[in-house]
Amino acid sequence: MTLALLVLALAAADPCAPVEPAGAPDPSAATAYRAVAEEELARGAFGAAIVAYRAALASDPADDHSRRALHGLCVAPPAPEDSLQQGLHLMDAGDYREAIEAFRAARAAGPSPSTALLQGICHYELGEDTEATELLREAEAYAPHRGEARYYLGLVALRAGAGAEAASLFESARGNPSLERAASDLARLARQDGRVVVSLLAESGWDSNVNLAPTGEPGLTPESDGVWALTGSVLLRPRGSSGPFLRASGLLHEPLRLGAFEVRGLDGAVGWQFRGRGGQLITEYDYGSRSFGGKPYVSAHRLLASGWLRAGGVALGATYLARFESYASAWSRFDGVLQRAEVRAAASPVRALRVAVAYGLGRDDTNDVALRYTEHGPRAELRVSAGSWRFGLDGALSLRSYDGYDAVLQAVRRDTYLDASAYAEWDLSSGWAARFSLDGRRAMSNVPALEYERVVPSVGIAYVRGF
Amino acid sequence: MNALAAFACALTLSTNGAGEEHLVSGAAHFREGRYAEALVEFRVAEKLGVRQASAYSGASLVKLERFEEAIEAFGSKDGAARDALIDYYRALACYGARLYVCADETLVRIGERSGPKLAGLAATIRADVAAKLAMEPTPVALQWYATRCAQRRSEGRAILAQAYCAEASALAKRSPPKAEGDPAGTSKTASGDRP
Repeated sequence: MTLALLVLALAAADPCAPVEPAGAPDPSAATAYRAVAEEELARGAFGAAIVAYRAALASDPADDHSRRALHGLCVAPPAPEDSLQQGLHLMDAGDYREAIEAFRAARAAGPSPSTALLQGICHYELGEDTEATELLREAEAYAPHRGEARYYLGLVALRAGAGAEAASLFESARGNPSLERAASDLARLARQDGRVVVSLLAESGWDSNVNLAPTGEPGLTPESDGVWALTGSVLLRPRGSSGPFLRASGLLHEPLRLGAFEVRGLDGAVGWQFRGRGGQLITEYDYGSRSFGGKPYVSAHRLLASGWLRAGGVALGATYLARFESYASAWSRFDGVLQRAEVRAAASPVRALRVAVAYGLGRDDTNDVALRYTEHGPRAELRVSAGSWRFGLDGALSLRSYDGYDAVLQAVRRDTYLDASAYAEWDLSSGWAARFSLDGRRAMSNVPALEYERVVPSVGIAYVRGF
Repeated sequence: MNALAAFACALTLSTNGAGEEHLVSGAAHFREGRYAEALVEFRVAEKLGVRQASAYSGASLVKLERFEEAIEAFGSKDGAARDALIDYYRALACYGARLYVCADETLVRIGERSGPKLAGLAATIRADVAAKLAMEPTPVALQWYATRCAQRRSEGRAILAQAYCAEASALAKRSPPKAEGDPAGTSKTASGDRP
């Protein structure tokens, strides 16, 4: 994207390719070109000298002097301009360390904002933010490169957890038309980033089946109700986006009439986020508790590890969690250890679109053998951004097989869950967004009493802000 | 029409004489963003006696970020041609060589001689230059310009030497008066006296 455009803009054709004659030999033109070549050579401008020698040879293929000089330039150690080209090729190939050496050699001949910008980008890619900042500041002083320099300075600030500074840099980089879209998206993300991040979501909607009752089965009828929900979290990252973090969060999900289905929860988490070149790893410990219908329901210790790596244009990720669950006495059959793992791949085939596919595997080892199960299935995500709107579409299929015979149900359960959700978010002002969502589930089972459908449309308002 | 296209058209319309072919060829390269090729063609045109080719070489040198050579190609400030677009490139050359007073003075000259697009570009650079000039020049900065002037003079590059010396002089005039016995200019009081 931006980097590729920059490299393309600065790259040039192979200066040492065979020279094609321009037409009838013109020795006088060749003489003029050769004179210019020698002047450029004397100034240390090897690139222009090569161009002029090539023009001399094209004008007069018998010009042995130009031929020898051109050959000499092509086999000589890289001149500053050649070092720039060499650096560009290395950078394009992802060899940032070697590219830095080439750019350093090019810069030794004199200050060059373009080379400073490219070398700064290489340092950024290697996570060497101090060196990157110094060079990007140098490039920023040259107006034609200001947009690109501020874009990368914004990325450096974002990595350091300086969300406000990053947002300001991205905003100013928007002046460059080729960066406007990406800088605009990053400015929004940067405002939501920082060493302290606060998020709130207030929603209200309607739940078609609060009690998860089957349709058409005797004895139990689906109960619909209005619902409202409030979730919030505070994230502390004293060393920015790479380093330790603490998180506290809470949720409240309350039906308007059916108070027995009210859910409340609190979580506290501590972890470490490692961000490196082209990848990220998060490890986390979380303790959470939930109440259900106003009574204690479950408390759990959760260990989680999640990471992703960029491979070409695809981000490959994996997540594993183990949740040690302890239920209130009325639910103690569910006590045990729940484990889930997922692998996923995400890509952006076009700038405003991101697609991800994942496959998950889960295992719930409850104390009661009849409730133990293994489940697996695919999941897909689609994300689209268009100006101040963002849209998302998710779908998942879970195939769950229980281990043992359930004496109450008189069956060994086999369930299938089909989940789908869609949402639209509209940025209202700095940090605030309106949210419209539609969630749905269809549960299928070999036990008819456990089959149900549920649809939950809701509207809400979200606030995310980094400090 | 953007500034670059206007530049190429201006070149095409102004050609005549023995170097015409090279001037046109240089304009075509410039328009396509092949600045090294454009420079070579303009240099050949210069050798063949096309007077205005030197300024076009200067514009190519600006694009190649060879700012000091560009300043030399544009020639001395007093003898400058008075095409608004060439002055814009001259201002960029000054800016790239950190000759901010030179850039500002050149941008002022563009004034009403340019179209709205060029005036907008000039205003952007001028605002930037104004921000740099608003900062009080440090003794180290003044020394840098003086040293640069001496170096370029010793290399026989008179136009550049004159540009650096003029910058040093103009910046020195912008410095606040120093207190007696305070050669480093470290006084903080409004009168220039030590507290």
